[in-house]
Amino acid sequence: MSAPQIPNLLSLRGRGGARGRGARGRGGFASPAGPGSHDTVIQGTDTDASVSRLSAVDLGYLEDPYARYFVQQNAGPPTRRLPIINRGTYTRTSALDRLVSTFLFGGNRGDGEKRQIISLGAGTDTRPFRLFSRPETRGLIYHEIDFPAIAAKKRATVQSIPVLRSIITISSELADGTWGNQSLANESSYYCHGRDLRDFAQSTPPSLPGIESGIPTLIISECCLCYLQPSEAKSVISHFTSLVSSAALVVYEPVRPSDPFGRQMVSNLAARRIQMPTLELYPEVTDQQTRLSEAGFQDGTKASTVEDIWRKWIPADEKERVDQLEGLDEVEEWELLAGHYVVAWGWRGQGFEGWKDL
Amino acid sequence: MSDLDNAIAQLRACRPIPEAQVRELCHKARELLIEEGNVVTVAAPVTICGDIHGQFHDLMELFRVGGDPPDTNYLFMGDFVDRGFYSLESFLLLLCLKVRYPDRMTLIRGNHESRQITTVYGFYDECLRKYGSANVWRYCCDVFDYLALGAIVLGASNTLSPPNENVSSEVYEEEDIEIEVCNADGDIMSRFTRQAADQKSPNGIPARTGPPGSGASGSSGGSNGNPTGAVLCVHGGLSPLIDTVDKIRLLDRKQEVPHEGAMCDLLWSDPDEIDGWGLSPRGAGFLFGADIVKVFNHRNDLSLIARAHQLVMEGFKEMFDASIVTVWSAPNYCYRCGNVAAVLELSEDAGGEGVLARSNGEVGRSDGGGARGVMAESESLLKSGPARRYRVFQAAPQDSRGMPAKKPVADYFL
Repeated sequence: MSAPQIPNLLSLRGRGGARGRGARGRGGFASPAGPGSHDTVIQGTDTDASVSRLSAVDLGYLEDPYARYFVQQNAGPPTRRLPIINRGTYTRTSALDRLVSTFLFGGNRGDGEKRQIISLGAGTDTRPFRLFSRPETRGLIYHEIDFPAIAAKKRATVQSIPVLRSIITISSELADGTWGNQSLANESSYYCHGRDLRDFAQSTPPSLPGIESGIPTLIISECCLCYLQPSEAKSVISHFTSLVSSAALVVYEPVRPSDPFGRQMVSNLAARRIQMPTLELYPEVTDQQTRLSEAGFQDGTKASTVEDIWRKWIPADEKERVDQLEGLDEVEEWELLAGHYVVAWGWRGQGFEGWKDL
Repeated sequence: MSDLDNAIAQLRACRPIPEAQVRELCHKARELLIEEGNVVTVAAPVTICGDIHGQFHDLMELFRVGGDPPDTNYLFMGDFVDRGFYSLESFLLLLCLKVRYPDRMTLIRGNHESRQITTVYGFYDECLRKYGSANVWRYCCDVFDYLALGAIVLGASNTLSPPNENVSSEVYEEEDIEIEVCNADGDIMSRFTRQAADQKSPNGIPARTGPPGSGASGSSGGSNGNPTGAVLCVHGGLSPLIDTVDKIRLLDRKQEVPHEGAMCDLLWSDPDEIDGWGLSPRGAGFLFGADIVKVFNHRNDLSLIARAHQLVMEGFKEMFDASIVTVWSAPNYCYRCGNVAAVLELSEDAGGEGVLARSNGEVGRSDGGGARGVMAESESLLKSGPARRYRVFQAAPQDSRGMPAKKPVADYFL
């Protein structure tokens, strides 16, 4: 049973107002995964992420008018996460947003130059809707890849929600479960490919419609490659980077599995039947950088924990705004949790000049 | 068997007691607590515990490790509720024990013993879930308002008593052991003598001889037979508005924890490696540095401040030349943090003569109680700290302790 009204800690303290709705459910702890294959469990992590995103949006951490369309509307109010989870969702999203925005709009991008994004295991990510609804987005080719079931579900969601449909009008049903629109406004296109990522680790990987080889391409893996076997993850990275001349990769993954917090994390995730095979291979922040160098991103590699990103990337006034949304009594726990996630990025070739100053 | 003993037995089995019984218990507890001052005086021996946070099975493990009440005297420094799944059973059991053995159980208030915080961090929801109404939450919150804000432990010895029957007391008389760390089975993990603590490094900073991560140095320079100073126990820490323990006694505590002011600070503040006072990242209370603690301890004839409030992975952490210690008693906090927990045992001073010299906040300080002297003068002015035994323990095994079918699973970013 949920409380009919969960007051905001800080509004009760009389400091700053609450944004978002008054009535919310509570969900400090996710329910254990139900029966199903390992793939189903991994697909379930996307639900987890979308619920966390909506929680952060409802409380005013993030602005994302599309988040709510991708959360299953069960009876009752949406799940509210605890403050550290909300802050983490906010910080992770802000970091990715900054890297993507700098790639798309920063540097000295020429007028006719195009940009391409390939998002691995994109799930219910709302980023394409957020980007394509911005007037300054032009010449963007956006690919999302996920399990066929997830891609089909996303298609159904987009088709049934007018706001989403108006941003990405589904015009093509290409072969093999790819849907999207090849002629969006401002010379942009969007493709959602229903594919098992592991197919791209095979000796003859399938070819995807719409991939352009000659333009700067950003590959994103937000908690995706970590679920593959290390050799598969390597092959997937090498496959996609081989398709284009200028490439960059951003990974967002857990790190430090061997300290007490990390050991507990691994064991708790295992209890939900979630395994992250690459975690053992890249246990430290610097290992993620080495991984990127070894994958051929020779023009630059960087890595930062979510905790560092919160401290160094989020401007003081924005920190103050976020702090005033809920208050955070879990200071030590935040440092532990946020210190166990890393954003790492590396690049080679043209189009990533803006990243040098990050 | 009295009703109270029945309730204790039922709660020990992690079964909530009926609403009417909670109401009666809370009423009795309030009558008892209203008689206590803001700062309760507690005589050693006593076992000091930090945050529990509704981790009932770990509280049972704490009693196994520290000794069962009422055989062991306990002082709990607040944060009984929120975060864990058994705030209700944990708090009601502690409250029953308080009512049943008032002189052997001391409960002081933490920042989570608050209407506002419990609505955000779980206790309110838990009461609603377990009783179908908020009545029990209201009864408990009314008790929170009467909990003391701090405690003063008197008569702690600077010699430990043996941790178990297999250890003879001779070694403690001969070796002047200041700190001993034991595991959950009472086996001695490490010991630190005062002599070792006196060895200074070349740059004049006391050698750090404490357990790894504790920063304990025991530079107080006491010797066997000298009475130790009193130990102040408080959930969070100090307040810029409070320079003597007597000023805590003057507060009107019987209210919800305020958003600011002395009472708020005592429950919310944290020590930090800074000079003076600083802003707290928690948005309430303050950060305070070593200078603040040393001046406060000197002025109030304290040898040590024991506090809780901050997760420390090793279960305890001594700071500022062992003038303040954080004790954390919630192992694997939130079923996620992977930390161990600890309790702090203070032994009874067999001589009993120290008590006279240990009253706090009275006249007769050598320098008039001013801040001037203590930092400039030698540290020997600070009272010799009591001998301290930390018993470190891990989370209770989940399967063997009747955990619910749905194991608690913590959130991560996925």
